[in-house]
Amino acid sequence: MIVAGCDGGSATQKVIVTGSTTLMPIAEVAAEEYHKQHPETDVLVSGMGSSAGIESVSNGSSDIGTSSRELKDEELDLGLVDAPVAYDAIAVIVHPDNPVGELTTMEVRAIYAGVITNWSELGGPDLEIGLVNRDEASGTREAFKKIVMDDAEFDRGAVVLPGTGQVRSVVADVPGAIGYISLGFVNEDVRAVAIDDVEPSEDAVVAGTYPIQRTLHFFTLGDAQGATADYIAYVLSPAVQDTIVRDAGFIPITAKEAVGG
Amino acid sequence: MADEPVQRAPSESGENGLKLMTRATYVKEAALKNLFMLCAVVAVAAVVLILVFIGARAWPVVDNPGLRAFLFGTEWSSSNDAYGILPLVTGTLVITIGALLLGAPLAIGTAIFLSEIASPKMRAIVRPAVELLAGVPSVVYGFFGLVILRPIMADLTGGMGFGPATASVILAIMIVPTVATLTEDALGSVPSGIREASYAMGATTWQTIYKVLLPAAKIGIIDAIILGMGRAIGETMAVVMLAGNAPQFFQGLGEPISTVTSQIVIDMGYASGVHRTALFGLAVILFLVSMSLVALVRLLARLNERRT
Repeated sequence: MIVAGCDGGSATQKVIVTGSTTLMPIAEVAAEEYHKQHPETDVLVSGMGSSAGIESVSNGSSDIGTSSRELKDEELDLGLVDAPVAYDAIAVIVHPDNPVGELTTMEVRAIYAGVITNWSELGGPDLEIGLVNRDEASGTREAFKKIVMDDAEFDRGAVVLPGTGQVRSVVADVPGAIGYISLGFVNEDVRAVAIDDVEPSEDAVVAGTYPIQRTLHFFTLGDAQGATADYIAYVLSPAVQDTIVRDAGFIPITAKEAVGG
Repeated sequence: MADEPVQRAPSESGENGLKLMTRATYVKEAALKNLFMLCAVVAVAAVVLILVFIGARAWPVVDNPGLRAFLFGTEWSSSNDAYGILPLVTGTLVITIGALLLGAPLAIGTAIFLSEIASPKMRAIVRPAVELLAGVPSVVYGFFGLVILRPIMADLTGGMGFGPATASVILAIMIVPTVATLTEDALGSVPSGIREASYAMGATTWQTIYKVLLPAAKIGIIDAIILGMGRAIGETMAVVMLAGNAPQFFQGLGEPISTVTSQIVIDMGYASGVHRTALFGLAVILFLVSMSLVALVRLLARLNERRT
């Protein structure tokens, strides 16, 4: 889908990037910077969820599909080539006034399965737990389900919100709420709880001790060519990894290699 | 039936001025006639095309999951390959009924005020305000509901404030312009002789309104409510933002619920296979519902004609 013009004038090439809303901050800011350095190439980024990104790159509508989850079994034979671009931890967030500061993975699972429904069962106040879940298109939900839920089903009564920002603002606003978002999106409005005694942090992710972590991917259909390959190489360069990736709250893909993980 | 009025108008003027018309005028008239017919045909073709397209994409629902499982299934969950639309249909129903219970009296009251009570000066303020409500984008309603109304509803109903209560209140405001404008038209079309006769008999304003005007405009008001209902059923953006989108049966006014439209939006981006087919099935259901609402309005209009 690379449209190469013949006149060599202003922006004549397009790289279309579709997928995970989690990866938007990296893909979008990198796209702007890349365009400044290569005015002949426009990188168009849109966030529609990881599954939409994978579908879009496999049917040729996009050059790059970004995903915050691994490929599912049925997606393995689509001929997609994986370029991991960053690590991310999923933080379990609660209202800042909530005194519960740590949970085990099992407790989080029981909360999301609807087994534990009141904070008093976890040593907190007598307050009903307000479950906030993501929509099924979300890569964050997929990763959370795989890592935390195991075979347990999500409670069907959870509020389903279609975006990371919405989850954060609702949890910030409702005293009894619990949600999960990328570590990179945690701010002072909400509090990330420690999971299995480990606070979510870059060090914990690099050390591999924080249990809810994942890899973020760029997928291309076959090996990347031309401007697409060039843009991916740019995203993987230290110029992006140490600034844009880090500013967005993610952990550079190079960090783990540096400590030999 | 659709192209009848388009044909009549030019042919009448053609008969009257046939001898005086130059050839150029005749060609222009004919061209315009065909152009307008084409416009009408495009609209009809669009409706037919949409129905055929979504119908064809939805048809496999009959085999998988099967019509029975689709229409009467009680679980909608793509991860379990279950596509029963009953929780979504009842969700739409609950939210729509809530919106009508709150919105219709508000709108009819507004219309009575505008048509019977307000001074011209007052009317000049209220009517544009009501019309402005119709122009507010639904995402703005949703945002208003999310930020202002949801915390209030959370206090009133417990829970997080996502659910039928919040969605219905916002939808009630959204249908006011539709229902109020049409109700006002219905009241306005009651012959003023009837109104004057009532006052001449010594009836008060209130007696005139509820004993004479409302019965006389009854069918027009029912029309207005049905069209408002259509608006509430079809509304998507504001509902996605406020209903909580949990595809479960009604659990309470403050518990999350999903609707036909919001489930289509939430699932659309990633659905494939049977799931996608089921979404087209939902679209067909929506289409059929709005078609029957329009048919109902037509039927009422015919009844009204026969009565007068």
